[in-house]
Amino acid sequence: MKWFWCLFFAFWPILGIAVCLVAPGYGWWFPGPAASPLGQRIDDLFYMILIITTLTFIGTQIGLAYVLFTGARRTDPDVQEKAWFSHGSHELEVIWSVAPAFILLFIALYQLDVWADYRVKDLFPHEKMEGLLSEGLHQKRDEHDNMHLAEVTARQFEWRIRYPGFDEDGNLLPLEREPQPTDLYDVNDLHLPASAPVMIMLKSQDVQHSFFLPELRVKQDAVPGLVIPVWFEATKKGEYALTCAELCGWGHYKMKARLVAESDEEFLEYLRELHRKQFFDGVVEAESEEDEDE
Amino acid sequence: MKPWSFLIFCSLALLHLTGCNSSPPQFSNRAEFDDLEPYAQEYVSEVLDSYFGTPTESVAWERLPIEYHFAETTVSGSPSPRKVTLDVSAGGHGSIGPGTEIHFASSNESNWITEWDAATGLATLERKPTQTIAEGEAVIVGPGAILKNGRHLYAQHCQHCHGVSGDGNGPTARYLNPLPRDYRNGRFKFTTTNYDFSPSRDDLDRVIREGIPGTYMPSFKLLKQEEMQAIVEYVRWLSMRGEIEKQLIETALADYTHEAVKLRIDGGASRGEIETEFNKRVAEGEIQESLDVVVDLMVERWKGSDLPENMVQVATNRPPATPESIARGRQLYLDVNNKCASCHGDAGFGDGPQNYAFTPGKPGPGLYDDWNNPVKPRNLHTGIYRGGRRPYDLFCRIRASVKGTPMPKFDTMKEEDVWDLVNYVYSIPYEEEVAGSGRLEEMVDSAESETEPAAAESESNEVASR
Repeated sequence: MKWFWCLFFAFWPILGIAVCLVAPGYGWWFPGPAASPLGQRIDDLFYMILIITTLTFIGTQIGLAYVLFTGARRTDPDVQEKAWFSHGSHELEVIWSVAPAFILLFIALYQLDVWADYRVKDLFPHEKMEGLLSEGLHQKRDEHDNMHLAEVTARQFEWRIRYPGFDEDGNLLPLEREPQPTDLYDVNDLHLPASAPVMIMLKSQDVQHSFFLPELRVKQDAVPGLVIPVWFEATKKGEYALTCAELCGWGHYKMKARLVAESDEEFLEYLRELHRKQFFDGVVEAESEEDEDE
Repeated sequence: MKPWSFLIFCSLALLHLTGCNSSPPQFSNRAEFDDLEPYAQEYVSEVLDSYFGTPTESVAWERLPIEYHFAETTVSGSPSPRKVTLDVSAGGHGSIGPGTEIHFASSNESNWITEWDAATGLATLERKPTQTIAEGEAVIVGPGAILKNGRHLYAQHCQHCHGVSGDGNGPTARYLNPLPRDYRNGRFKFTTTNYDFSPSRDDLDRVIREGIPGTYMPSFKLLKQEEMQAIVEYVRWLSMRGEIEKQLIETALADYTHEAVKLRIDGGASRGEIETEFNKRVAEGEIQESLDVVVDLMVERWKGSDLPENMVQVATNRPPATPESIARGRQLYLDVNNKCASCHGDAGFGDGPQNYAFTPGKPGPGLYDDWNNPVKPRNLHTGIYRGGRRPYDLFCRIRASVKGTPMPKFDTMKEEDVWDLVNYVYSIPYEEEVAGSGRLEEMVDSAESETEPAAAESESNEVASR
């Protein structure tokens, strides 16, 4: 019976590792590669930690199996071998305290760069953002710190979005902190240029929400009373899911929206279309009617 | 195994098999339903059951202007016994696909599509039809499918607030302010149709798509066009059902409420006589006739709501929001005849005196909507426009009112005046609030001073005279 239990406990970790090894072949794996450069670095960190934990797991399981089998063998009736009493061993205690401490310290230091690039305002890719605004989108800029392209306000249970509008000459204006009469509004449909870093202002109107772009590995809480800058860069054009990742009330599941990353021109055309729709004054086909009148 | 663990296992298994609540959803009745005599109640239930069914067994009543089916079209050819080509010149419905039911009118038999080519309208059928299919034969593709899809989507997205019957009383409704819409009056607040009309399909579609900022109605923008259409049709269906119930109780059966019957009994009639008379009127079709009138009017109104001529008409473009236009709008806003300020307040904070006034028949001071819920006039400073922020939306709010609320319609106001008001309303959130600048005299002064260079002087006089 004891050998049954030894094999039973040794079987599960072996099965676990075997399943993990064959899983990618069957498509059972984590969601596809990150759709943003920062997301790829976050993924690299994740896989690094996964490797460390896997090695640790295999090591401890081998240790466990060793203890199991030797322990079981020693209980055979004719075996004289005695158990080795390891409890209180100073050397072992030092090793298994210091080794994990070094690993954790290594992870803590190693990830600093990624964290700082994502969260520290001074390290945001200002130059690229400014380049996109001035050259890609021909934004009329007289100040250099205002680089937001949209204000996303989470509320129960949707995402309200405010974009900058156009001036009389059709140039894109910078997005001000306070609403302007020229601003353009939309809901649950965030359009932004792809292939360059963009920045949004994140707000909450009521409770705490969380702005989550799973494919881009962006997750940031929206906190009532705060305006939080969030930047991200979609490498490819396309549609990405935007969801709320903080249980915000009974309708939390309704906060399903999308991010549409498109070319600079498409983005501008989208804003122009939004402008046309938002300033629609009910006069249908004015030109053709006038023609008929004449 | 110990007996208690066996018991727990059995009860869990039983719970798993039966579910916690297995009773099917039911339509509820209006509060006024309880005022009717039992035989009248029975009649109302019979009528509603036969024309609308239950939430899970809905009836598609052809008299209502509702699109129940994916398509009603004709056969344009039958290349092989199991293949038919349908006329999709009017555009095939996006939801038609494998598994869609197809009903042939002449043989009155149903078949199912296994392959569908939307471009050519070529459908492969699951089994060979018993009769050969003639060219030009009428078919219904997906009979009742839109209503059915609508019910599923409604149950998934809307029902927890708007209720099974569309009475705005679902389980989550109690946590909301303002309350969710009760469809059963046929009144919807934010429409682009004229005052007497119901919302158009586009209006309902827009509200579902864009949500209503400032309320709990969220945006459902990511739903597909077909899903949106199904929800719109289902909401219209619920609204018409509610209206028929309301009209039945309030008009056709007004003589058979507890109160009316009591009055007649006091006048000498006996309870039995009244019931016999009711049964006679039902048998002779008299009640049905008055119901028919009500249904006809309602159908006409809903049909009319989708016609372009019943939309709020705008002839001239919105003029630019010049200071002069805004000043004129402000004057109109303060004008005693327009009474804007009596609800929305002199400065537009929604704090006008009507908020504190008593109206006969209302439960308390202040303003109430058609559903007898207290409403607050909009604070125009928030920059939140519930019915949409397009100039046309604001124009419609003024022209056709916010239906079901004390907001009046201004359908005789000159168009340029409405536009001036719209321009003024747009300017309110961006106003610089200076003490005294909201008063009428000040407006008149500044409007005049634009032609006179003595603006600064008159202002300083104002200050000095205080």
